[in-house]
Amino acid sequence: MILTALIYKDIKQLLRDPKTLVMVLLMPVIVLVMFVAGYGGPGGNIPIAVANLDGGTISWRLISELKRASAMGLGSFEVVKTAYTFEEAYDSVRKGEVYAAIIIPKGFTEEVFLGKETQVGIILDASYADISERVYRVLVLTMQGFQQKVTEKYGGFTFNIYRVTIYGPEVSKIDAFLGVVMSVLLHLVPMSLIAVSISRERERRTFEQLIMTPISSYDIIMGKLLAYMIVTMADTFLTLGLAVYVFKVRVVGSFLDLMVISFLILICSLSMGLLISVLSKNQLQAYQMAIFAFIPSMLFSGFIMPAELLSPKVKIISKLLPLYYFLKAFRNIQIRGWTLYDNIFDALMLIGETIVFLLTAIKLLKLRVE
Amino acid sequence: MSLEYAVETVNLTKVFGNFKAVDNLNLKIRKGEIFGLLGPNGAGKTTTIRMILGLIKPTKGVVRVFGIQVEKERRKVLKMTGYMPQRFSLYEDLTVEENLMLYALLYGYNRREARERVKELLEELFLEEFKDRLAGNLSGGMKQRLALAVALVHKPKLVIVDEPTAGVDPPLRRYFWKYFKDLNKRGVTIIVTTHYMDEAENCDRLALIFRGRKIAEGTPLEIKRLAFGGDIIEILLEAPSPPKLEGIEGVKKILESERYNGTVSIKVLVDDASSRLISIVKRLESNGVKVVRGSQVYVGLEDAFIKLIGEQAQ
Repeated sequence: MILTALIYKDIKQLLRDPKTLVMVLLMPVIVLVMFVAGYGGPGGNIPIAVANLDGGTISWRLISELKRASAMGLGSFEVVKTAYTFEEAYDSVRKGEVYAAIIIPKGFTEEVFLGKETQVGIILDASYADISERVYRVLVLTMQGFQQKVTEKYGGFTFNIYRVTIYGPEVSKIDAFLGVVMSVLLHLVPMSLIAVSISRERERRTFEQLIMTPISSYDIIMGKLLAYMIVTMADTFLTLGLAVYVFKVRVVGSFLDLMVISFLILICSLSMGLLISVLSKNQLQAYQMAIFAFIPSMLFSGFIMPAELLSPKVKIISKLLPLYYFLKAFRNIQIRGWTLYDNIFDALMLIGETIVFLLTAIKLLKLRVE
Repeated sequence: MSLEYAVETVNLTKVFGNFKAVDNLNLKIRKGEIFGLLGPNGAGKTTTIRMILGLIKPTKGVVRVFGIQVEKERRKVLKMTGYMPQRFSLYEDLTVEENLMLYALLYGYNRREARERVKELLEELFLEEFKDRLAGNLSGGMKQRLALAVALVHKPKLVIVDEPTAGVDPPLRRYFWKYFKDLNKRGVTIIVTTHYMDEAENCDRLALIFRGRKIAEGTPLEIKRLAFGGDIIEILLEAPSPPKLEGIEGVKKILESERYNGTVSIKVLVDDASSRLISIVKRLESNGVKVVRGSQVYVGLEDAFIKLIGEQAQ
């Protein structure tokens, strides 16, 4: 009897906070829908470049064969760029325009007809080790299939694939994961921490006394932002310093640039958290909303795999997420050794989103107790 | 717009869903008075106060504080107004002194002025020895004193206190009222809500609120007269039967008469006890009736309150 009374009471209480309940119950459904939207269908294509130095009939056949090859659940290759020299192909991988470039050597058609050995090259971007490994394997399989078909028609030939790696030689797992770890530390943690700050004041009724003083919503929002920034900033730099200097995680670019971009995502996360705080009625709701807001970031920002490889529909969502810009810039600096200036667009997007979050929060925070 | 009023509400209304918490309330609270908002729990006192302070938005109606419309220029109003909410609303994880310093600075004092003002308040409200204690660890009475100190930190001209004495022991209640009277003497207008009737007697004027509506307003004496239709006097006579009183000037109604061992005790409703008591006694004596004793019957606000509410509820 005691137990049923308690169960009854708790269910009633749950039902009386519909906002939280909806979030909790809908969370699995929404996560699944988002997951399917992002990963279920044919994925986005892997952008590659092709340098066809040959130009003969067989080389064009190879290219169309490559386009048809499915990249093991990642969608197909998409030749987004045609290069005319090896250097040009190399450059577009280095700049991050494509994940790989395939080099078809001069005289390829002739060599195939003559049954000689031919050398096909691939330039890979090691900063996305996972992707480049897959691209390489797909290329090998495609070449093998192509070899069979060609042999049936024109007689046998052999081929060799040589690989050139940029930002290599190898990116270890910890190097590759630093960005992901920093995302959790700089996005989810500060966001959920500050998300409860205003609702806590409401819940403890301190808000009622606070707004009796001649302060504005600007004061409240900026006060909270700066306080939490000071506290969490130390933590950020400590983590980053520990990773780089103690655990020797490889950072090719400048440490200072890495700190700047980390700082930018930190204030952006805090601003986003403040907006959540303004929108939520109590602390529980705020926590739920913070987690809820993190889910699309986790799925679509390059946290799990590069956002470019997601289906085109959800790429639009990716471009709204601060974490997308952070991860991109962070990896570019850490692994590719780019400078902050090279990532200026991402940095500006982070600043822009921060401003939008803050202005919205200030606008929506009502100095009332209803 | 009149400058003689500290607070003026015009047709103030607040509707929550389909519940009318405050219904067309018109109050005129004069500068320099202690004004009591009286009413049972849920009558709409706190909602009214929150609307006066701009903490919630009225569904309808206007509030003016010292002639300034709250909805338009709330900040100006806040600088002149102190508020002590019904429930403790300060930071429990800050000390007494830290809470006071915070509020002093938020009201625009510089650091030196703030320290001085905080020191003053700590002394005035006997909080000096607890100044380093976390507010969360204070007893109920100390919390109330701290809350009052915060309400007064910027020397407001109007102080609004919402049930300041709920859950407070009698000595502190008395102290609070003494303190309010002192403040009032210094020219501060005080609005206080309470449902303790003995406290309400301390107010200069009262408004009785019931179900969101004002059912009476005036001095405690006026309210009692309103409830009973006048004053009540009791006369003890030596007579075998009650004499005829009807028709005597000022007499409104004979409320009751009791015979006991050759004496008669009569309760009479008159328009004004102070002038009529003597004239009635004289009239009876001139008619040859021996009057043993005549006095005004003390009516508590509580009786008036219950009577007025009872009439409304019907």
